[in-house]
Amino acid sequence: MTATSFEELAAALKPEADAIVAQYEDSRSALLPLIHRFQDAQGYVSADAMRTTAEWLGLSLAVVESTVSFYTLFFRRPVGRYMLQVCRNLSCTMNGAGAIMERFRERLGVGHLETTEDGLFSYEEVECLAACDRAPCMQVNLEFVYDLTPQAVDDMVAAIRGGTYPVKPLAQTEAPARSWHVSKDAVPRVPGGRDVPDPNDPGGIGDRTGVIMLDRVVRDLSPDRTRERLVKDGRELLERGH
Amino acid sequence: MDTRPVLMKGIGEADLRSIDVYKSRGGYEMLERAVKTMQPAQIVEIVSKSGLRGRGGAGFPTGRKWQFLPENGEPRYLVCNSDEAEPGTFKDRMLLEETPHQIIEGMLIGAYAIRSHHAFIYIRGEFLRGYEIFRAAVEQARAAGYIGKGICGTDYDLELTIHRGAGAYICGEETALLNSLEGKRGEPRLKPPFPAIKGLYGKPTVVNNSETLSYLAPILRNGAEWFAGVGTERSTGYKIVSISGHVKRPGNYEVPLATPIRVLIDECAGGLRDGRKFMAVQPGGGSSACLFEEHLDLPYDYESMAKNGTMLGSGAMVVFDDTTDFVHAALALVRFFAHESCGQCTPCREGGHWLEQMLERIVHGDGLESDIDLLKSVSHQITGLNLCPLGDSIEPFLSSVVNRFEDQFRAYVKVPVAS
Ligand SMILES: Cc1cc2nc3c(=O)[nH]c(=O)nc-3n(C[C@H](O)[C@H](O)[C@H](O)COP(=O)(O)O)c2cc1C
Ligand code: SF4
Ligand code: FES
Repeated sequence: MTATSFEELAAALKPEADAIVAQYEDSRSALLPLIHRFQDAQGYVSADAMRTTAEWLGLSLAVVESTVSFYTLFFRRPVGRYMLQVCRNLSCTMNGAGAIMERFRERLGVGHLETTEDGLFSYEEVECLAACDRAPCMQVNLEFVYDLTPQAVDDMVAAIRGGTYPVKPLAQTEAPARSWHVSKDAVPRVPGGRDVPDPNDPGGIGDRTGVIMLDRVVRDLSPDRTRERLVKDGRELLERGH
Repeated sequence: MDTRPVLMKGIGEADLRSIDVYKSRGGYEMLERAVKTMQPAQIVEIVSKSGLRGRGGAGFPTGRKWQFLPENGEPRYLVCNSDEAEPGTFKDRMLLEETPHQIIEGMLIGAYAIRSHHAFIYIRGEFLRGYEIFRAAVEQARAAGYIGKGICGTDYDLELTIHRGAGAYICGEETALLNSLEGKRGEPRLKPPFPAIKGLYGKPTVVNNSETLSYLAPILRNGAEWFAGVGTERSTGYKIVSISGHVKRPGNYEVPLATPIRVLIDECAGGLRDGRKFMAVQPGGGSSACLFEEHLDLPYDYESMAKNGTMLGSGAMVVFDDTTDFVHAALALVRFFAHESCGQCTPCREGGHWLEQMLERIVHGDGLESDIDLLKSVSHQITGLNLCPLGDSIEPFLSSVVNRFEDQFRAYVKVPVAS
């Protein structure tokens, strides 16, 4: 998004922002609501959005960033137009969520916390969505989808690709990177890969440190998956001529 | 057995989201009666007498909680907790989406009872649809004069603000919720001071679950004795139980407290699927230890659950049949708590991740015999050492299934020795 269009967006949001602030005894309470508004408009929480929120609420940028980073529904990097969030908690697991997650990974060619090359899908495995009576279930851009089957996954992916899926796409004002997560859960990143560190990106350094990568490998990946991951990353690097 | 006697009455039959339909069934009459003819203290007394206990998980007596508020002339707040994210719980979302006015009326009555002029509701970020439905209902209630300046034509002003979360289970914990409502990271606060003394903006605050508040109008209508006459002496009234897992008819069932677990599983939820055998039930959300065959005739109430080493919690029941892989089940819940730890306490933050790693290792066939013993001992080193109950929630389910189904765990680590 260019500077002028962000300024236009901020100007358009300002009256609503003032009304939100007026609902609370302390203006800082408006932080989450304002970030929600910006994310709705931009598809993610941009550095501009955080800076403007900080300015409007009289907070430091660090305070806003630190708060935003706490919440999993705030995407600090651009995401796909369809955010697919599949439940991996107990009742869904007991009722076949494993096969659903496998099918998505296979059909989309991406894993947990990743976005497809074409910027259409972001995929995440999430915790209990309070729909355990309709397990396995998921949300697509926060709309519930119940009683999933592998066939339903195929149909959904095809419908979204074909532009006929009945859920509104998210705003997308910038092309997404491979993952939107800038946290301890980040997928290990390869230095020099597609996401060249951006010095202006608030989370651009943290997720590339070896410690976090190691933590993620030990914590989330089995030896097999680690091997797969390394082979895949290595292949991508070679393809890009590194 | 009527499984929708009070709060769930009419759901699926009438469009209770419409204020006209809600009013045609007696809606908002109790609010009017309260603010026009009753003193706040009278309402507190009725609620105390009814024996109503918090339906959000801790089961604290609602009237008593209200009585903790100091008389210091400061503004006070009522906050409705609709952050529902306890694994297995799906009742608050139903109330929010299906019968929002019941929550609003409860919030308004509760706020009036504690003499608050500003009530908040914290809605889980994932519940976008619920938020939109609730917002529309609040607009209807405002237009009808139930919210704002001089409600119901009296001189009592009462504002209601909706606040959306943004993804974080821990924000259901009341002090984390207050931090989140103040625009901060959702990290629990040290208690005391309890919210009743120092809550939102440092002012006296009551946090109540949406189901708890929804029961206020029915209690005013039917009387404290009516509610106190259902259930047991200390577990009074009705409770919505969310039943899921391996049953034929998963869903929400509203039943008198102390209904036997067997009745809940067999009569309400239709029993197990054909040809399957019962193995275990987790009776009170992700934080609770499992019960087994020998417990099926226990009455489902706060005391019986506590006496048997588990809890009623939020009323979420997950049923497991003989196809269950308890190692995977344990991993799913341990991973959940590790993921949701806010990170302030070392035992919770590190302990959760260590357990998760260990279970990952076991599931992938890289576990050692000694891991099983380690699992049993390590989990006990996490409990009781944390700032909030999340850290203490990691262990109960895990321990209960490791102890009961140790053979399942051992089977994973029986790796053939390489020649
Ligand atoms: C980790 C954690 C998560 C919680 N989540 C919720 C929740 O989603 N909804 C809720 O009402 N209470 C939740 N609670 C309980 C609240 O802290 C608080 O006790 C409750 O909202 C009080 O309302 P009640 O007295 O009406 O039950 C949670 C507690 C903990 C420790
Ligand atoms: S116990 Fe866990 S979730 Fe609770 S405050 Fe400590 S680290 Fe945070
Ligand atoms: S376990 Fe998937 S919605 Fe609750």
